Amino acid sequence: MKDLKHLYYFEKLLEDANNDLVRQAKAEGRLALGYTCYHMPEVLLNLDGCFSVRLRAPRTGSMEIATYYMSNATCEYARALLERGLEGGYKFLDAMAGVDVCECMNRGMENMELLGVSDPEKKGFFWCNLDSPCSDDEDCVAHLREQLSRKILKPLYENYGIDVSDAAIRKAVERHNEICRLITEIGNFRKLDNPTITGYEFHILTLATYVCPKDLVVEKLRETLEELKTREPDPKKKFRAKVVVVGSEIDDPELISLIEDSGALVVADRFCYGSFPGRQEIVLTEDEDALTQVCRNYLQTTLCVRHCAQHKVQKRLDFAAELARDYHADGIIYEQIKFCTYWSYERALASHVMHNEYNIPTLSIDRPYMSRTSGQLRTRVQAFVESIEIKKIKAKKNREVK
Amino acid sequence: MAYDPKTGKGLGDLYSAEHRCTKRREWKGLKDTLYDYGCWLRLLGMLGCKLGPVLPQFFRGLKRYRWLVSYITTPAFLDRHTIGLRGYELRYTHQQFYAVLQNSAGMIRDLLERDENLNPHSKKAAELRSKTVIFDEMMPIQIMNGFPTLKGIPIQMAPIFVVGEVDQQANIYYIDAIEHYGLASDVCPLPAAEAGCCVVDDYPKVGAAYVSSSMPCDGSVASTMYSNRYFKLPNYQITPPQRFNEPEVQEYAVKNLWGCVEFIEKQFNVKFDWDAFFEGVKRYNKESDYMIEKWDVNCTDYPQICGAALALHREYEMQIASSLDPKMCKYDAKVNKLMKKGYAHSVETDDKPRYRAIVWSCPAHYYSNFTYWAQNCWGIKTLVDMECMLAYHHYDEHDKKKVLVDMARGYERMTMRSHSNGGYVNALDECWKMCEKFNANIVFMYNHVSCKNFAGLQGLFEEQARERGIHLIWIEHDLMDPRTVSRKAMRDRVNRYMTTVFRAEPLDPTLVDYDDDLTW
Repeated sequence: MKDLKHLYYFEKLLEDANNDLVRQAKAEGRLALGYTCYHMPEVLLNLDGCFSVRLRAPRTGSMEIATYYMSNATCEYARALLERGLEGGYKFLDAMAGVDVCECMNRGMENMELLGVSDPEKKGFFWCNLDSPCSDDEDCVAHLREQLSRKILKPLYENYGIDVSDAAIRKAVERHNEICRLITEIGNFRKLDNPTITGYEFHILTLATYVCPKDLVVEKLRETLEELKTREPDPKKKFRAKVVVVGSEIDDPELISLIEDSGALVVADRFCYGSFPGRQEIVLTEDEDALTQVCRNYLQTTLCVRHCAQHKVQKRLDFAAELARDYHADGIIYEQIKFCTYWSYERALASHVMHNEYNIPTLSIDRPYMSRTSGQLRTRVQAFVESIEIKKIKAKKNREVK
Repeated sequence: MAYDPKTGKGLGDLYSAEHRCTKRREWKGLKDTLYDYGCWLRLLGMLGCKLGPVLPQFFRGLKRYRWLVSYITTPAFLDRHTIGLRGYELRYTHQQFYAVLQNSAGMIRDLLERDENLNPHSKKAAELRSKTVIFDEMMPIQIMNGFPTLKGIPIQMAPIFVVGEVDQQANIYYIDAIEHYGLASDVCPLPAAEAGCCVVDDYPKVGAAYVSSSMPCDGSVASTMYSNRYFKLPNYQITPPQRFNEPEVQEYAVKNLWGCVEFIEKQFNVKFDWDAFFEGVKRYNKESDYMIEKWDVNCTDYPQICGAALALHREYEMQIASSLDPKMCKYDAKVNKLMKKGYAHSVETDDKPRYRAIVWSCPAHYYSNFTYWAQNCWGIKTLVDMECMLAYHHYDEHDKKKVLVDMARGYERMTMRSHSNGGYVNALDECWKMCEKFNANIVFMYNHVSCKNFAGLQGLFEEQARERGIHLIWIEHDLMDPRTVSRKAMRDRVNRYMTTVFRAEPLDPTLVDYDDDLTW
């Protein structure tokens, strides 16, 4: 396929947390609010006068200092962020909106706070450790609402004078929804028999919406959507199987690239920093305040493994199967970043359940934070693709015999 | 002193690399050996009385459940914790452990008489099951004080938690099972073994409803997805807030806890009995008072109830016995009386410890007598253990609203959770506070290699200890899996520190290097 016009532009934006658009927005006097997790409602960090930056540590190499502080047995993502923070890579932030939902990320944030990675000149800077509940009933909604009001909205208003009114939240939701609509429409091209967008390209676009001020990428996303409507697919399919990738945090597009180079086209992205969940519209009604509705939305739509009530576990399994069906995938790759306890449990269980109960071929892998050079991963994906092909051939033969 | 410099014989000679049990019982002098032997007989008698009525199920259980076999070694478990002890300390330890073991034996009897696998056609067992709620093990079951007609059983406690302390090899099979299933080997082996026990179908089937929890760590939360699928019972999840130092979170905590009460009421068609509940609360308050007194004494120059006798007892009393067993209070009163006598004796003889230490982070289940080894070998007295510093605040004894808030706070400060959750202050700052309070300059810093929670603070602990001049002795272990770090490797860390930093001589050189990889 012909290269997407703005792909290189988006790729460049992902090379640095403090990228051109972040700097531009900062120069306009807006506040950059760092966060890491879906449990921190992104939309509340995008009120007028501020924008969210979902933290990444692109081009991470050594993590020696972070390893000293957090040992080598903790999640590399958390360590990479700490290392980048200690290097001064997040000094541009005006607040850090952390969540206390997984041990490693929580400790990573606490280390950043104690080791002083923020800019001491920023007098309004605040740290947050959000206590996000483990389920989604109305008591949980009320609890999350209280936490967000006290730990995010209050300091935003008091320290920076940001308008945190109901009207301001509704406006932020509208802007958020526009991005969601664009990403959803772009993502729908992955449902085609011969998709006109690759998983890598889609991941680049989605990632850009997480790490840049949304209003500054929206125009180029619109253009990309228009471009895709007329984009000609490759005459001959370049992939041998379609897969859904399900799992923990992936902010490294090279991993998707590695999977696709191994013959598996990624048609759905059900992972942290992916579009499921995160790029679905938030529907607000007028009969209840916007904040409560936002809290309910995030608690009900999260697919985080931390939610272990029976109905939530079942929902995640069903959802993965639904994605495989809707996006015509031949299999699912369950992945986890090494040392992620939650996903280790989910991955082991789901790889059996998906195969035995849903009859969907499943590959189960763990990976480092930066996995672009992993020969082992490449081999495993290639073997998975081959196994899918063999299954298809056998199924075809069986049909012919019948 | 158990070591005889003339003959060169000491406590290390009791162990043999080829045997699971010690070569012989320790000679503690006539009086103490007689006392020790008497306690040993009392333990056997108690086990006989408790398990006698379910003897047929017990023998069937030995064939059905791998973990049950390990309980045969219970007397050896007690012996391990009393090696080298004399006088009052020997007596405290026996009393404390007896209280725990009599309750554990009761729990095993409860499991055996209810279990559907062992009593498939028994109407009595079915009737008992219909009135039993099973709980995740890492939370107290204090709530059951309000349901006197029902039985609450922490389901993983006997098959995984306690047995891992009784026999260091007991959990290995379950850990291997879950790792073969696909779980990464870097996760905490406690919830891993619990999930493994599901995978190999080794839990007794004893209840009609299941209360799971989010305590105390990521592994514990995630393993409930396995137990939920395995037990296939109506389920409620208790999910206390993470940031429990904030007063604002208590409203949610109470609602969540009360949700559990309503769940049990609905499932079993019973009403929460406030009178019975307040009786339990009174017992809890008394137990906490006894605990605080033990701590207070240990802050003085003459600490009394130390090491595992202090830690395991408190952990067990709050988490498992959960004020449901009036006998626990009775034994507490007895120990308290004894402790006062012991303290007076120590003052009189000016019996001060050589070194004063506290234990921080989660200790190795497979080496619960580690602190006694440190005491016998190097004279390091362990004054308090992080694991036993659970909730100790008083619960209101009359007001329904207040007592629920108190209980919610108690659940939030459960084993491990009280320090590993709620932010770094509970782990870091609290450690230094305890060093000051207990006047200790050594911290046995258990480095549980699979615990991400404490691993995430490793560098900060190191730096802050240095600033404060505290001897932080890092001791690697893998909680339930002695293959990752053996008992010997744990001891070596202390040996190296004591010889290189303190330039100390061991009190008993035979304990410096011996092989106990095979022992229970």
